[in-house]
Amino acid sequence: MSGDARRPVLARRARFRWDAAREQHVVVVPEGVLTLTEEGAEITALLDGQRSLAAVIDAVAAAHPEAAREALSIDVREYLQRLADRGYVTLEEP
Amino acid sequence: MSAPPVALLAELTYRCPLRCAYCANPANWRDYGDELDTATWSRVLREAADLGVLHVHFSGGEPLLRHDLEALVRAAREAGLYTNLITSAWGVTRERLAALGDAGLDHVQVSVQDSDDARADRLAGTPAHAHKIVAAGWVKSLGMALSINAVLHRHNLARVGEIIALAESVGAERLELANTQWHGSALAHRDALMPDRETLASAQAIALAERERLRGKMDVIWVIPDWYEDAPRPCMDGWGRRFMTVIPDGTALPCPGAHGLPGMVFDNVRDRALGAIWRDGADFQRYRGTAWMSPTCGTCDRREVDFGGCRCQAFALTGDAARTDPACTQSPDHALVRDLRRARPIAPAEPEGPLYRIDIRRVVRAS
Repeated sequence: MSGDARRPVLARRARFRWDAAREQHVVVVPEGVLTLTEEGAEITALLDGQRSLAAVIDAVAAAHPEAAREALSIDVREYLQRLADRGYVTLEEP
Repeated sequence: MSAPPVALLAELTYRCPLRCAYCANPANWRDYGDELDTATWSRVLREAADLGVLHVHFSGGEPLLRHDLEALVRAAREAGLYTNLITSAWGVTRERLAALGDAGLDHVQVSVQDSDDARADRLAGTPAHAHKIVAAGWVKSLGMALSINAVLHRHNLARVGEIIALAESVGAERLELANTQWHGSALAHRDALMPDRETLASAQAIALAERERLRGKMDVIWVIPDWYEDAPRPCMDGWGRRFMTVIPDGTALPCPGAHGLPGMVFDNVRDRALGAIWRDGADFQRYRGTAWMSPTCGTCDRREVDFGGCRCQAFALTGDAARTDPACTQSPDHALVRDLRRARPIAPAEPEGPLYRIDIRRVVRAS
């Protein structure tokens, strides 16, 4: 995933929410539910349609000063690419 | 304590302008005309969300026949539920779809009966196909997610490629290719609808190849045909495990066909809260988990993979809902399925006459 100025945004058909009954974050999609890890939830919560991909990576890195930025950057890109492949995240041009 | 359900199937009405022969509604659907009112459904939707339900599927019959559908969608969204409308799209206007979108509808699943007007309309018993395609376009342009659903059987399996092309052309994000399951009206029409093995195999090859081609663009879901697999369908992902159904008169069921089983103790949402019914309703307990299973299932290492198959099918074929689903090759009753499959006369690929959903009361009146 290149183009770090692009803004990742959750597709309208995918809804991020806290699932209180199961105490986990999920993305609810047509006919399905994606259960998120804590890291996945942290990234997804940053997809406000305003932040660019670079800004999302910056925010995750700021929250985890103990982690190597390069590794975090790869994780964020891979996670968003997986959601994008299934049409649950789109990348808006700046 | 049982895990909470993930989805509620809200069958708002069994009334429908279409007359598809494969309909899964019960043959005596007219006996369920005492439908829940708006306030009761709204309460049920809130109770569902509190219980842990994430999705509500508004279905039927044709849910658009309920004039309070917009209010129910709004109630569901206010409760935090993801809302899906399962519809024929018959007669729906762009204005009504827009109102449903404004109420918070997330996703619309439009049925198609075949790939062209004449064939689809004959199967539906209603001139509906051309309008479905227009309405599917409105769903997209209004920004809601769109799925197309096609129930497959002897009379349309040969055109699975055309059906896939149709779904692609209207911009659907999902396509469900659902091989007919043998319940309700479909069971009564089994001989006319059951495909032969060769047609099924060709259709499956096309569907699986198209699924690869369309990956990332349109999810193509191939719902396996019952009776032609070694293992049974994991019906409802297990009884009272993930799904809950409320039918038009308020009866709460573990599956949409469970009211056809004998000896059940049905709870109605008019009398009890949804959570109490889910947790300790007698019919929800009956086949939950593995304790009820016969030794065939209880000792099988797939007992928590396919959960013994379908209780309704076990009852329909053996008269005992607690037996292993005869669709399973391990079932002591599997010869029933094998013999029915073999003995079935091959029906013509084009229906010879009208083939519509069973309507018991109408039949009784006519005789």
